[in-house]
Amino acid sequence: MNPQLIRELVALLGSKAVLFQPEDLMLYEYDGSVELGSPKCIVFPTSAREVSEVVRLANRYEVPLLGRGAGTGLSGGAIARDGGIIVAFSRMNRILEIDEANLRAVVQPGVVNLDLTRAVEHLGLYFAPDPSSQKACTIGGNVSENSGGPHTLANGVTTNHVTGMELVLPTGEIVRIGGKNMETSGYDLNGLFVGSEGTLALVTEITVRLTRKAEAVKTLLAVYETIDDATGSVFDITVRAITPAACEMLDGFTLRAVEDYVHAGFPKDCAAVLLIEVEGLIEAVEAQATEIMEVCRKNHAREVRVARDDRERALLWKGRKEAFGALGRISPMYYVQDGVIPRTRLPETLRRIAEISRKYDLQIGNIFHAGDGNLHPLILFDERDRAQFARVVAAGTEIMQHCVAVGGALTGEHGIGMEKNELMSLIFSPEDLALMARVRSAFNPAGRLNPGKVLPLGKACGEIRIPHIPVAATTPA
Amino acid sequence: MRLEGIVGAAHVLIGATDLASRQADGFLPSVVARPEDAAQIAEALRFAVTEHLAVIPSGGGTKLGIGLPPARYDIALDLSRMNRLLAYDPQDLTLGVEPGMKMEELLRILAEQKQFLPLAVPFSERATIGGIVAANSSSPLRHAYGGVRDFCLGMEFVTGEGIQAKSGGRVVKNVTGYDLHKLLIGSLGTLGVITRVNFRTYPMLPAQGTFVALFSDAAAAFGFCGAIARSVLVPQILEVADPAASRMLFSGGAERLEPGAWSVIISAAGQPAVVDRCARELGHMAGAANAEELIRLGEAEAPAILARIREFPRLILEAAPAAIFRIGVLPTAMASLLGELDALARQEQVDLITLARASGIIYAALLPKEGDPNGLAALANSVKRVFDACGKSEIGASAMLEFCPPELKRAARGAWGDSRKDFELMQRVKHSFDPHGVLSPGRFAGGI
Repeated sequence: MNPQLIRELVALLGSKAVLFQPEDLMLYEYDGSVELGSPKCIVFPTSAREVSEVVRLANRYEVPLLGRGAGTGLSGGAIARDGGIIVAFSRMNRILEIDEANLRAVVQPGVVNLDLTRAVEHLGLYFAPDPSSQKACTIGGNVSENSGGPHTLANGVTTNHVTGMELVLPTGEIVRIGGKNMETSGYDLNGLFVGSEGTLALVTEITVRLTRKAEAVKTLLAVYETIDDATGSVFDITVRAITPAACEMLDGFTLRAVEDYVHAGFPKDCAAVLLIEVEGLIEAVEAQATEIMEVCRKNHAREVRVARDDRERALLWKGRKEAFGALGRISPMYYVQDGVIPRTRLPETLRRIAEISRKYDLQIGNIFHAGDGNLHPLILFDERDRAQFARVVAAGTEIMQHCVAVGGALTGEHGIGMEKNELMSLIFSPEDLALMARVRSAFNPAGRLNPGKVLPLGKACGEIRIPHIPVAATTPA
Repeated sequence: MRLEGIVGAAHVLIGATDLASRQADGFLPSVVARPEDAAQIAEALRFAVTEHLAVIPSGGGTKLGIGLPPARYDIALDLSRMNRLLAYDPQDLTLGVEPGMKMEELLRILAEQKQFLPLAVPFSERATIGGIVAANSSSPLRHAYGGVRDFCLGMEFVTGEGIQAKSGGRVVKNVTGYDLHKLLIGSLGTLGVITRVNFRTYPMLPAQGTFVALFSDAAAAFGFCGAIARSVLVPQILEVADPAASRMLFSGGAERLEPGAWSVIISAAGQPAVVDRCARELGHMAGAANAEELIRLGEAEAPAILARIREFPRLILEAAPAAIFRIGVLPTAMASLLGELDALARQEQVDLITLARASGIIYAALLPKEGDPNGLAALANSVKRVFDACGKSEIGASAMLEFCPPELKRAARGAWGDSRKDFELMQRVKHSFDPHGVLSPGRFAGGI
């Protein structure tokens, strides 16, 4: 990178806020996906003003740049695909305001998701989006990727919880959109910017909704001898219009890995479990739990267990949230997918994934948000085996094609990033993509902000890109 | 004529009544075209681009008076022929519908499966899905279910250049690509013509109870709302009606409800045990908040009163030439904003009727005093002052004049108040979707 630009960045931010030595840059080459990209420089601004100045410098030197939170993303959204500057938000990590009466918090983008909940739980409140990486991931990253989590089944994803933002546009201008009010007249710009994967603006402040904790919560674990019985239960729960707060499925293979790692008390000899949570008034929770138990038993659950206390409940969730890490222990690498299907197509889709697993001779673990049809097949592989890796890519594409064929989507919460951008044409027509490209150009005309993400580059069509092979296994929290 | 070639001669109307039925704030189109699908709309819009014509889409025609008067208006796109349910999977709780379907019809179909869409919006027997989405109509059910953006899964639409596009999808969780459809919600036909909307649906709950608590003043009523908000109860509906609105809501049905009081209307739903629990808790809280009375409405009267809440703006419009604001405001600022509005209404000698959705929206209607010859002038002054009151920093509300006589809109600041700080971003969005300014020109905020 131009040494003069580095000098200017250091003059602007101070030498402790600019990294450019190769050994420092290496730490920012990857995220939670299987992608890689080398930045030329990392900066750590502490204010919107500084972010704006960095953007202006990048423009002057015609260098690409992108924002990054904790780097836990699963689609390469925070990877410097074309080099350039990474704007790391880890020093903009203050909670600026908690407005209990109006159920709002104003935060800087680097605030860790769980830290916000911790800061408000004494008020009986929490921040609803709860990605598995919530101990590490930042709210700025959640906003960029429109992150979800197990409890989004009842509570919605990040976009349902953001009412306002301060943005630094690719020109360096600082603008505010929305505010604390639930409704402002004019176009819903929050709706556009949340989930735009850092390609339209850098986010420097976020106003979020806080949610009141329910009076009661019950966590059930249903144990099955076949995957079909587990998916059948999810189908019946949806059809009977029971709305749990969360409904997660782990298959037997994943479960054994998780149990060996977390010791949450999961049975190791079953084909699948459902982890179902209901919350609300005591009366509602009792009624729903009874009905869910009935559905599970009708679908031949071997056992339906209710967590006896908060400790047992926390342990079950720890098992679920650390499942990716557990699989990371038993396989050199894994490739996680994020397809979504209509919930009624769950049983046939799991059968299809099993066929694909046999066809390509690959171990695929399934651990996912069953209640909203958001799959997470994890294809295990060894990156040193090139032939096997080609099969991984083919299997991943086939799973994705199935999701699209039954009326689903490419990603439910992980984002498109640089992982699935060439698959966008499976869902969207050239006209759809051209309109998205035009909207991107309206805000990011030079394409300097987070280049190579979301939209296809046009090199391949409907084919998954073969990612770089990273040097170490990635195990997101 | 080209349009006849596009939608068929039988669907191009130029009769005086046809044109009058599509008038927007006194402006008449030159022609009404009734397309049957997205391809015809796309072709009609490409024709409009070539001929520099302005197009306003509408369905039931109940929202043509929202926003500023159009800058130009040549073709009225009547979408009422596009009224099919394209997909409905009750087991998956999702559906896809054309824009011209009437809300009431859709709710009837969903009710057969014991499901519903949480949009209790005014003009329900005429209002169509496309219009409700494009105007982001406000519903009291927002308290529990959120607004259109929270349960709309995706859309298909035609841009101002006549390009058919889509975003989102049909599944309940999806981050594939930009959420362009969110921009169309509330865009008042200025970005695209909606040709399909995908929604998630919700199961009807087995039992429901509707309650009215009466209070002698606003502070007590909002105090009660605050207590409910801090409690573990999650009502479906939580509304505060001032004495004038209370009289309107309860006339001809619930006479036992004290005229002259502030009322808080609460609807709770769920298992019967849940509704019973809410009844008990509300009783305690109403007592603690010094309510004059807490009444549980009977099975017969509750639906009638909920329907009047749903139709609130319409009930007022049918009575008088009112200016009706829809104001986004934080719960903590509601009582002081209502105080400001009351003071200015007294000074300007106009009548004020308000209905507040406790989660953050106030409907405020200003009406000229009966028989006041200067009524309209008084109304015009009050309208300006409402925008001022909302703009005060300690209130921080976002006001939009949703319904009012067209002549009032020509007064300063029109229907949208001062232009937003992010107006320039909105212009960029508009230019991406409709670079030639074909769609509903001039109606939107800032004259977009």
